[in-house]
Amino acid sequence: MGRTVPTITRQLNETEAMLQGFRRALRRGDQTLLDGLLASAHRHLAAISASGALLPFEAALLAMLIEQARQIATLEEEVGILREELIRLRDGEG
Amino acid sequence: MARVEKTGWLMDVYTRPQGELTCWLVSEDGQRWLLPMDFPVTFYAAGSPAALRQAWRFLQDRGVRLSRQVRRDLFHGERVVLSATLDLPGRLPETYRRLAQAFPALDYYDADLPLSVRFVAGTQAPLLGRCRFETDGQRLLGLQPLESAWEMQPSLPPLRVMEIECDADPALHPPQEIVIRCGRRCYRFPLQPLRAFVVNLQALLGTYDPDVILTRYGDTWLFPFLSEHAPFLNPNRDEQLKVEFRRERSLFAYGQALYRGAQALLFGRWHIDRCNATLFAEIGLTGALEMARVTGLGVQEAVRKSPGAGITAMQMQTALRDGVLIPAVKQQAEAARTLVSLIRYDRGGMVYQPLVGVHRQVAELDFASMYPAIMVRYNISPETLNRRDAPAGLIPRTLQPLLVKRLALKHCLHTLDRRDSRASDLKARQTALKWLLVVCFGYLGYKNARFGRVESHEAVTAISRELLLQAKENAEEMGFTVLHMYVDSLFVKREGTQNEVDFLPLVEKIQQQSGIGVSLEGVYRWLVFLPARHDRRIPVANRYFGVFEDGTLKYRGIALRRHDTCPYVAQTQLDILDCLAQADDPRQQWREAWALVNQRMRSLQRRQAAVEALQMAVKLSRDPQSFHRPSAAAQAARQLQAEGVAVRAGMRLFFWYTLQGVSVTPPGADCLDWDRYARLVFRAAAEILDPLQPVSEVRQFHLPLCR
Repeated sequence: MGRTVPTITRQLNETEAMLQGFRRALRRGDQTLLDGLLASAHRHLAAISASGALLPFEAALLAMLIEQARQIATLEEEVGILREELIRLRDGEG
Repeated sequence: MARVEKTGWLMDVYTRPQGELTCWLVSEDGQRWLLPMDFPVTFYAAGSPAALRQAWRFLQDRGVRLSRQVRRDLFHGERVVLSATLDLPGRLPETYRRLAQAFPALDYYDADLPLSVRFVAGTQAPLLGRCRFETDGQRLLGLQPLESAWEMQPSLPPLRVMEIECDADPALHPPQEIVIRCGRRCYRFPLQPLRAFVVNLQALLGTYDPDVILTRYGDTWLFPFLSEHAPFLNPNRDEQLKVEFRRERSLFAYGQALYRGAQALLFGRWHIDRCNATLFAEIGLTGALEMARVTGLGVQEAVRKSPGAGITAMQMQTALRDGVLIPAVKQQAEAARTLVSLIRYDRGGMVYQPLVGVHRQVAELDFASMYPAIMVRYNISPETLNRRDAPAGLIPRTLQPLLVKRLALKHCLHTLDRRDSRASDLKARQTALKWLLVVCFGYLGYKNARFGRVESHEAVTAISRELLLQAKENAEEMGFTVLHMYVDSLFVKREGTQNEVDFLPLVEKIQQQSGIGVSLEGVYRWLVFLPARHDRRIPVANRYFGVFEDGTLKYRGIALRRHDTCPYVAQTQLDILDCLAQADDPRQQWREAWALVNQRMRSLQRRQAAVEALQMAVKLSRDPQSFHRPSAAAQAARQLQAEGVAVRAGMRLFFWYTLQGVSVTPPGADCLDWDRYARLVFRAAAEILDPLQPVSEVRQFHLPLCR
C-alpha cells in the first residue's frame, strides 16, 4: 500500500527467481539442498528486514548460516547423548 | 406560532434548493422538525497579491462578503488570505467551482467541506446529540448542545424504522413482491399493478412517517425504479426536495478493486441500503449512529463512505475549531531523501515468522489500538515531525478522545455478561470506532490525505517495530519463547505456565515499558501455526488456528476466513476444528477429523447437499472485458452481461460450479459439478489436517480419499 521499497519477502522471492539458472545447473540432490537453504532463510524474514541492508541477500545468507548452526548444534547434542548412551552400555557390558 | 424552546436531538443538516441550511430535529415530545437556519459559511483563497485582487473583483458582485485576513496553514504557517463568506451554504460549491476555474493558480482552503462537519464544528452540537433549540415554527432561532460526541451513554432519539425488501436480487430477476415492515406490522404487496403498490407505499409513508427506511437494493433498484415509474411519489419528509441520486463507481484502494453502487439519499429521513452500505452488516444501525455522532458526517453518508472519510471529517472538525486552514487540494510532496534512508524507513510493521507446528499453552498478547496509541503517545502528526517539544498535534488531538472512548467501550463490554442485552449495542459501537482507528494510520501516509505526510506514517511503523522488539526482549528475559509476532500482537509460551495469571507479569512489564495498553487476548489450550502450502519448511505469518482454554476457536488465514469459500466447505472446516478442539492435543483427533471429511465427501458424491450451501462468491478484480482467460469469475461476469446486468470491477458475483463451467442461476442437481465441490472440501481439510502429521503418514492417508 503505497510502499516504494519492495517487502523483504518479495525481494527474497525475486532473488530466488534470479537463482533459477544456478539451481538448474545443480545436480538433483544439490537442488533439494539449495531449496532447503533458501526455505530456511524465510524463517528469519523479520531479522533480514530489520538489518536495513542495501543488499538483503547478505543478511539472508547469515540467516541460512544460523539455521545450519542450529542443525549442527542439534546434531551435536544428539551425538553427545548417543555417545553417553554408548559409554553407559559399554561400561554396563564391561 | 410563538417562540418555543424544545429539547431533542439534532438528526441531520442539509441545504434546500435555494441554498438555505435546514436542520432536521426530533424533540422529546416526538415531534419532527425541519427548520431552516441562518448559517453563513466561509472559504479562503491564498496566492499572489495581484491574483487575490483579481479574485476579489471576480467575487464582488456575486453576493459574497469579502475581507482580507491572516490565517494559519498547518504546513506554511500564517498566510494572507482572501476570505469569502456566503449567507446561503448551498451556494458555496458553485461559487468555489467558478472561482477555481477562473483562478486555478490560487490555493483554496475550507472550500469543499461537508456541510454537517462545518455545522458541528461551528455550533459544537454533535449529530445525534441531545440539544436545546428555539424556534418560531418557521425557522431555527438557536441551538445549544446538551451532550458531547464523546458521551459514553448517549441518549437516543426515538426512531421509527421502516424496512422494505424485495423477493429477488433485481440484478438477476425482476422482483415480483415487496415486503414492508413498520414496527411489528408486516405488509406484502405485489409490485404489479404498480399504481396500487405506489398508493400503498405512499399511504404507509404518510401514516407511519418513518425516520429510517432500511432497504435491500434501495440504492441500486427500488428508488431509481420508483423515480422512473412513479415520479409523483416523494419519499422525502422534506417535500421541497427530491431524492438525490449519486452514480455508481469502481475504484482501486488497498490493492483491490472496490465497487460502490449508485446511491439514493433522502432528506428529513434516512435511507440505508443494507446491500450498499460499507460497514452496515457489521455495525448495524447502532454503530452507524455512533459513527455519525463522532465523525460529524450524516448517517446516510457515514454508512456509505469508507471509515477514511470519517476520520478525515474528524480531522476537519479539529482544524476548524483550531482555526487551521483546510486545503482543498493537498500541497505537500514527499521531501527528497537518500536511498539508504528510504530503505531503512519505508517499511511496515514487524512480522516475525512463526515456529510452525503444534504448541500447547500459548498466550496471545495484543497492544490495544497500537498505531493510534503511538500517534497519541508520541505526538505524531505532520506538523510535529522532528520537533521534540511541539505541542500536541492535530492528529493526536483528533484521535485522543476516540481512542479513550473505544477503550472504555471495550472495557465495558468485557465486564458485561455475554447474554446482557446491552452487549450487542456496545459491540456495534466499539466496532464502528475500531474501524475509524484502523484507517487513521493509513490516512497518515495516503497521498491525497489533507493532513497526511508519509514521514509521519513511517515514524509510526518505526516506533511499532521498536516496541515489538522490546516486547520480545522482555519476554525472552522472563524465560518465554516468542512463537510469532504480527504487527501489534505476540504469541508466547513457557514451560510450566498454566493459566492467564502466569502471563500477567509479562503483560505488565511490556505495558510499563511501552506506555501503551497491552491486553491478554487469552491462553490457547493449543495453537497450530501453519506452513506454506507449497513447502512445509516455510512458515507463513498470520496463518493459524487454535482453541482457547474456554473452548473458543480462533483461526486466521484459512479457507473458513476467505470470502470466496462456499458455505458447505466453510462449515466442514469449522466442524473439523470443533472436532480437533475436543482434545488436549489436536493430533489425537486427527483420524476422527479425517473420518468426518470422508463422510462429507461421500455426501457430496451422493449429491446430498443443499444447492444454496454450494454457492460460490467472488469479487471481480477488473472489468469483464479485461479478462484474458476464462476464469470462473470471468465466465460468471459474461453470463450476467448476457442477461443485461451491468457488471463492473469490484462487484461481488455469485455462481455455482457446473459440469459445463459455471452458472449464475441455481442449477439442478444433475448439472452441478459435485466432484469439484468434493475436491474443495478435501483441500480445505488437508489445509489444516496435513501439517499435524508427518508427510509419509499424510500421503498414505490421502490415497484412498483421492480415488
